[in-house]
Order: sequence, then C-alpha cells, then structure tokens
Amino acid sequence: MNNSEARNAIFASIRQNLAASLPFDAAHHAHHGHLDSDFTASVLPELTNEILIENFRENLEAVGGDCSVVYDETEAAEVLLSIIQQNNARKIALSDSPLVKKIAGFLKIDAEFIENAETHVLFESDLGVTGAQLAIAETGTLVLESETERHRRTSLVPPIHVCVLEAQNIRQTLGEILEILRSRLSRTITFITGASRTSDIELTLAIGVHGPGKLHVILIDKQEDE
Amino acid sequence: MNQLTAETFDQNARAALQDTQLRGALKNLADTFGERRKTAITTVENWEGLRDRARAIKDETLLHLDQYLEQFSENAEKAGAKIHWARDGREACAIVLELLKERNASKVVKAKSMAAEEIHLNAALEKEGINPIETDLGEWIIQLADETPSHIVVPAIHKTKGQIADLFVEKVGIEKTDDVDVLTKTARRILRSYFAEAEVGISGVNFGVAETGTILILENEGNIRLTTSLPKTHIAVMGIEKIVPRFTDLDIFLKLLPRSGTGQRLTTYQSLITGTKRNSTDEGPEEVHIILMDNGRSRMLAHPTTRQSLACIRCGACLNACPVYQQIGGHAYGSVYPGPIGAVITPQLIGIGKTKQLPYASSLCGACREVCPVKIDIPELLLHLRAEIAEGTNDTATHKFSEKLAFQLYSLAWSRPVFYKFGIKMSRLMQKFVAKDGKIGKVSGFLSKIVPPLGAWTAWRDAPTIAPKSFRDVWKSDLENK
Repeated sequence: MNNSEARNAIFASIRQNLAASLPFDAAHHAHHGHLDSDFTASVLPELTNEILIENFRENLEAVGGDCSVVYDETEAAEVLLSIIQQNNARKIALSDSPLVKKIAGFLKIDAEFIENAETHVLFESDLGVTGAQLAIAETGTLVLESETERHRRTSLVPPIHVCVLEAQNIRQTLGEILEILRSRLSRTITFITGASRTSDIELTLAIGVHGPGKLHVILIDKQEDE
Repeated sequence: MNQLTAETFDQNARAALQDTQLRGALKNLADTFGERRKTAITTVENWEGLRDRARAIKDETLLHLDQYLEQFSENAEKAGAKIHWARDGREACAIVLELLKERNASKVVKAKSMAAEEIHLNAALEKEGINPIETDLGEWIIQLADETPSHIVVPAIHKTKGQIADLFVEKVGIEKTDDVDVLTKTARRILRSYFAEAEVGISGVNFGVAETGTILILENEGNIRLTTSLPKTHIAVMGIEKIVPRFTDLDIFLKLLPRSGTGQRLTTYQSLITGTKRNSTDEGPEEVHIILMDNGRSRMLAHPTTRQSLACIRCGACLNACPVYQQIGGHAYGSVYPGPIGAVITPQLIGIGKTKQLPYASSLCGACREVCPVKIDIPELLLHLRAEIAEGTNDTATHKFSEKLAFQLYSLAWSRPVFYKFGIKMSRLMQKFVAKDGKIGKVSGFLSKIVPPLGAWTAWRDAPTIAPKSFRDVWKSDLENK
C-alpha cells in the first residue's frame, strides 16, 4: 500500500469537494447569517491565592477527591504518613520529583519506597506518589507535564494516587492553563480530575475501574501565614 | 453476531418497542444524562456563545481542511509520530494489520473508538487471528456478549445489570451478583492482566491540534491512559474531521464536550499526546502511529448542509435528547452511529441505498438541534437527505399514479367553489363506509388500496372525519335562528 498515494487522493477529494461547495456557500452564508465571531471569554478578576486554593479544593472534593492544605514539606510528610497508615500501604511507588523524594525522605516507617518503578512493580504497588506541575481551580484538575517529571504511570497504575501540589501553580481557568502548556509543550500532558470512574452499567457510578479509586492532593501553601 | 441492518429499521424499531428489558435499561438515560447536562451547562458563562464559537472554529477548519491536515501531520511527524493515510475503512484496517504484523504483535489492548467501530477493525483483526481486547468497561461487556455498541458514550446502555452479571458468570466465572462495584472490580482485575502483557494499544482521537500535532483523548475510566502509555506501540485511528487549528481552541471544546455528553464539567482524564517520548528513558510508547482516515468524510464537504455533519464531536447529547432513540435504543438503527446524528451521517458514510429509512427515523422535533454543542442543524440535514431520497426515488408506478391523481383532484377541488362543495359532499358520503364514532380507524382491504395514504395513515392512528356540517353551514343556520 502506498501511503503517499492515499494521501494525495484524500487531499484531491477534499479540494474537489470544497470547490464543488463554493456556489452553495455564498447562498448558505447569507441565509444563515454570521456566527458571533466577536466572542471572547470574559476577563477574569485577579484572584488571591486563598481564593484559588479554596476553589480548587471545593471542585476537587465535588468529584470525590481529598485535599489537605499544609504549610510545608514536613507537614506534607505527616499527611502522607497518615494516608499510608490508613490504607495499610506496604509498597509505595514514587515519581522522580525532588519534592516527592524530599517528603518521602522524612518518613521513617516500615514500608517499601520504590522510585521509578517498572510497570510490573507498579501493578503490585499499593500507592503512588507524584507531583503536579499545574492545577485548574475551576474544575479541581491536576495537570501533569511529562517534561518535568516521570509520573505518567505512577499516577495511574496503583489503586491510590497521592499528589503533591504547590499552591503557586494553581490557576483559575482551563484557558490560562492551556496558554502556559502551549508555551512549553510537553510530549505528554495528563489532566486528572478526581478518581477513575465509570457509569457504563445502568448509568450507576462506580469508582476505581481502571485508574486509582482514591485521589488525595496534598497542597503546600507556604504563604499561608505571611 | 446477529446484527440488525438499517434496511429493516421499521421492523427493528417495532421489535425494540416490544423489548421490555431494553425499555427498562433506556429509561434512565434521558433523566440521568439529560438532567445532568442541563445543570452542567449553567456552570459555564455564555453557553450559547461557546456553541457559536465552537461551530465557527469547526466551520473555519473544514473550509480549509487540506491546509490544517497538512499542518497537523507535519507537526505530529516533527514530534516523532508516524502519519498514515487511509482512503477508506479497508485501508485503515490494512494499515493496522500491517503494523501489527511488522512488530509480530498479537497482544493488543483497545480503547473505545467510534472510528474503529465504524471500520469494523476488530472483525478485520480477528480474521487474521488477532483478538484485540476492549478495555472500556462498556465495550468489554459488549465484546464478551458479542454485540455492538448501542450508544456513542455508554455502549452497553441497552443491557441491564442482571444481564451483565449473567454474562460475567458465564464468561469469566464469577459468582452471581447484583453489585455494580463487584462487576466493575472484576473488569479491573481481568483487564489488568491484559494491560500487563499488551504489545500494542489502539485508541481513537477526540481532537487533533494542527499547530502542534497534538492528539487529545478524553475518558473517565483510565483505560485510555493505560492503553496509550503501557504498550510499546500506540496506534490512534482518527477521522480527518477531528482537527482544530490552535492548541487554545481546546478550551472551548473541553468545556462543551463533557458537559454535553455526561453532564460533567470535565471528564476524569484528558491525555494530550504530542508525538513520541523525547528520550529513551522517558515513559510511554516508543512508537506512535496516527491513521488519518477519510472513509466518506471528504464527500460531505461538498455542500454546507452536509458539511456540518463533520462538526460533530461525538458527545451523544442528541441521542439522549431524542424521543425516538429513548424508545428504541441504538441497535434498531442498524448502523454504527445511532440516534439523530447516526441518522444523518450513516447514509452519507455508507450510501443512501441501504439506509433510506434512517432519515425518516425522526419526528423532526428539533430536540437534537437544541442540545448539539456545535449547533448542527440535524433536522435540516434530515430534510436534505429526504429530498435526496425523493429525487432519486424508485417508487412503484402505481404509487406515482395515485399521488398524481390525488393532487389533480385536489387542485380541481380548489379551483371552483362548486367543485369544492361537491368534493366535500362526496367525501362525507364515502366516509360512512369507514368511519366509526366520528373517526376513521384502521383501513385495510380494498379501500386502503384505492386510497393508498389512508391505509398507511390509519395503520397507527385514527384519521378525523369530515364534520357532518361545515363551519359555514353552522354559521348560516345559527344566523337564521337568531
């Protein structure tokens, strides 16, 4: 099979059919009027860090995610410890984020921490800890960029995902986030909003079908007391 | 697989109406997704403006589709993806098959893709001894049942919990249960063993960004992330209409699609994939193949009315809103794409010859147009297709004769008052043979043959009779009495 032959045929067909449409287009346009091309998203007010955190937390909780706001890494480690203990996690997969490693370093417990785990190890892990590069407050969404961190599988395969997020990386809207992502485009970008879910059986909600059934965000807000 | 065809839509629909299990399964659709959608669209400012903007972006893209496709394919290849072109479904299947053979791969996991359904990819692979495993819960269920999807978003909507439980008992040997969580966890457990070993992952694409060569795939379950990140090779099947020009255009479509489809602000996961990984130590597949498929799409560009079919983002809102779909479900349409959007794109994709009934599978109520996030005028399209069918009609000569005769009598009656009065008198006389209690019930036999529309009309509803006294007569006699 000739790829360029198929390509040329498709392009020829597109051009030919668009040309055939020309006489109808003018009449159609006049009949249907113009679309509102002036549409622009409304300009957003500057939001304080506190409001962004609150919006993020509220929207994350609305989709079943947990959110703990902490002051620093040691506090984050305490939250992580309690999550590990509550879920009786023995095998904990870590991404290669320095922040995640630092937080996990504070924990002196009898559990196995595995960095950059192979896929088959991830399948046996009880919990995955990653960072997130950005977050969207209006939807409670975590944004993971592959160029910064190896977190694609650690955030996906284990049944529990714990994500460490720094408050200064939260933006209110998806639009703002897309602008930032475009300027430094990673090969893989993953948006995560809550835990894995399905409604495929009688539209009944079931959690944790393929991805993690639990999502816990540890939000570090160092400016809290300033 | 006992698959229904579009040619027998009327029989399919009648059978579906008798299927109480199906009716039960469909009952919640409008209430659940319909109501959730209504709430979700209030969580965004200027919903109407978003719809207009989305449509404008789609129109702009389609009018310059060649340029945007060129841009998309160049940028995707620059980032390391391999672009393949397929004129039709057969070519697309052959490309997938060849990729699998070259890699000597037989362990294939699949994410839900309407494009792959459209070209019957699984059947094509199975013929060559490769059994791709569907990993979306709904798709896996219907794969186990050897059925086809009946909804664009929730493919197993036609099955009840009890039927699914029975299926799992039979096929994967679990204990009988009516707990949806148990059924879901079963799917997770079994499908993970396939993910662990898969060599190739096949997915669809929701949007392709021309300026970056990025593909975006939306989901709730996580199986698409697993399919596109664990195997060494990722193959994405993509219709050529899926392009948007700019990366930031995704903002609008990510606001519209989840809200319209499932009533969510955002689905749980979005994967934005631009080519392959940068370094061999990075995560993700070594190869990404994108198959750009025409399969009848470029033909739709030839007229603004048909072109709007290509603006569809496959949210399923028109299915959920459609009073016909709500009653008969997806299978009755006998086509891969069911519901209102299916009734307009199927005849265009596979030809009107075998799908003549689909454009009539609608009451033209306009509910689909109302909810469509990209404002596709589906009723306009249905009428356009009906006109096409009527123009190329091969109705019997008698039908044409009776129609001509009817219209000739009609125009005669309206040309002189005396003819009109005579016609009404005659009709009043004639209807005595068929009328009962002031209405005409089911007409069959001789009369239905000499007056053909009467037979068809009264097969499902009563026809009103002509009043014994006309309004004029009543008016006159009333005046005289005063």
